[in-house]
Amino acid sequence: MLLESMLVFGLVNSAILMLMSFGFSLTFGLSGVANFAHGGIYLLAGYLAFFLLRTLGLPYLLAVIITVIVTALLGAAIYRLVVIRVRGIALNEVIATFAIGISILELFRWLGFITYEFSLPCIVDGRLTLFQTTLDYQRILIIVVAFLMAVFLWALTHKTRIGLALLGMAQNEYTALSVGIDSDWAATYSFALGGAFAAIAALMILPLGIININIGYEVLLIALAVTVLGGLESTKGLILGCIILGYAQVITSTLIAPHWKEAVYLAAILIVLAVKPSGLLGKFKELEERV
Amino acid sequence: MLDIKSLMVFYENALAVNNLNLDVRKGEIVGVFGSNSAGKTTLINTIAGLTLHLKWREQRKGGQRITIVGAQLFEDEDIGKLSPSERVKKGIVLCRERHPVFRDLAVEENLRLGGFLIKNQAKVKKSIDLVYSIFPPLTKLKTRKAGLCSGGEQEMIAIGMALVARPKLLLLDEPLLGLSPAMQAIVVQALKDIRKLEVTVLLTEQYARPIMPHIDRGFIIENGTLIMSGTQEELMDNPEVISAYFGM
Repeated sequence: MLLESMLVFGLVNSAILMLMSFGFSLTFGLSGVANFAHGGIYLLAGYLAFFLLRTLGLPYLLAVIITVIVTALLGAAIYRLVVIRVRGIALNEVIATFAIGISILELFRWLGFITYEFSLPCIVDGRLTLFQTTLDYQRILIIVVAFLMAVFLWALTHKTRIGLALLGMAQNEYTALSVGIDSDWAATYSFALGGAFAAIAALMILPLGIININIGYEVLLIALAVTVLGGLESTKGLILGCIILGYAQVITSTLIAPHWKEAVYLAAILIVLAVKPSGLLGKFKELEERV
Repeated sequence: MLDIKSLMVFYENALAVNNLNLDVRKGEIVGVFGSNSAGKTTLINTIAGLTLHLKWREQRKGGQRITIVGAQLFEDEDIGKLSPSERVKKGIVLCRERHPVFRDLAVEENLRLGGFLIKNQAKVKKSIDLVYSIFPPLTKLKTRKAGLCSGGEQEMIAIGMALVARPKLLLLDEPLLGLSPAMQAIVVQALKDIRKLEVTVLLTEQYARPIMPHIDRGFIIENGTLIMSGTQEELMDNPEVISAYFGM
């Protein structure tokens, strides 16, 4: 009984982590810029969807489309207006994007978005009982969407001309330039994709609870932990990192105490950085370290 | 076709290319020879627009100051301010030195990326088939990751990628660097095939001997300065050139 629910909720938790970190990891993998505004974009998507659905009363699908488009444009704007000026200086990129993230989050706090009325609706209500574990449809949907996103990501990068170009740009910038791929175009695209992914994650995950400013910081921490754990520029590593962290969290919170689960990310980052700095599957970086 | 007039390129205060004049006529194969650090790569990167890209990048973040002066004309049009991708659209395609491929992509995907700017997929497919006919060894490697191929195979992929982009002017930066004599022969053979496609070629090389019989004209540069130019015969008759670039 305990084992069964740990297995099921571990899977749900892994899927949640995966959705939360896809956008961050995608932008990083394709453009080499760690977008620390990820948490801000995620939360903004949540409040925007709330506004469109509850205040304007738009139909769900329309609200979703608008939210995704707006966050994609926001991602692109972050690159075009800010990051482009400091591209190539890693520390400045981090400071600039982190500042944008904090501005977004604290703007909402200042505007008074701190009450308990903010929540998003589930796509479908109801629950399902399998053996002895009860699972609501929203959590099942999260697993499905996380899986679909992984497939989408793979198809985008290997089957489409644009995706292939983005991968090429990530692997060898000057060769990509010399066959006519523009580096700012590629980076803008990857920031926009990262923003869109953050919105999809917010729309799927936020209905599970109340929208809270601190979620923004938590999402960023999770994305960072998963990316460090799995290894940079490796989608397989990302998925593996999510599964490891997802289960580790569920196990610690069931067997020790729920509040310990927050410590899992930090412990994971520390251990990985100490033992295998390139991450579990970060093979290329490791090669460079050896040379 | 290509006219470079009084080109000078500075990295901060260091002069990489000094008052260089160079021209390439349609249908020719032109070689630029010079020792390491003579400015060959800077010259060819400047023609491809990569130096300008780097200059923009550095300017934005306040890094290294790069200065490019002089005229760069391609088909009587000033290309000096065009980005690399705009130059590819005009038909100037560079294959950089040391066979730079997309190591994590399959060989075929690498070649497809060469046709990134060509919207017509059927045309890209045709160009890829053409590359396979010029470099038959690649046919067997279609699905292998480019990073796992040998240096010679990677050079074939890199040149193939540039060909898929349908260049009018193909720039080859040290295509023979680090290849075995057998591989060098394949690349030199490919050069003859490329000439048949009516592609004009500008290439650079340190060691002139394997490539000299196949060029029409050559330029010799030292420390960024043009010291000699002439037709193939003129260069091959010059004892100084022979001792410096033929290893004899």
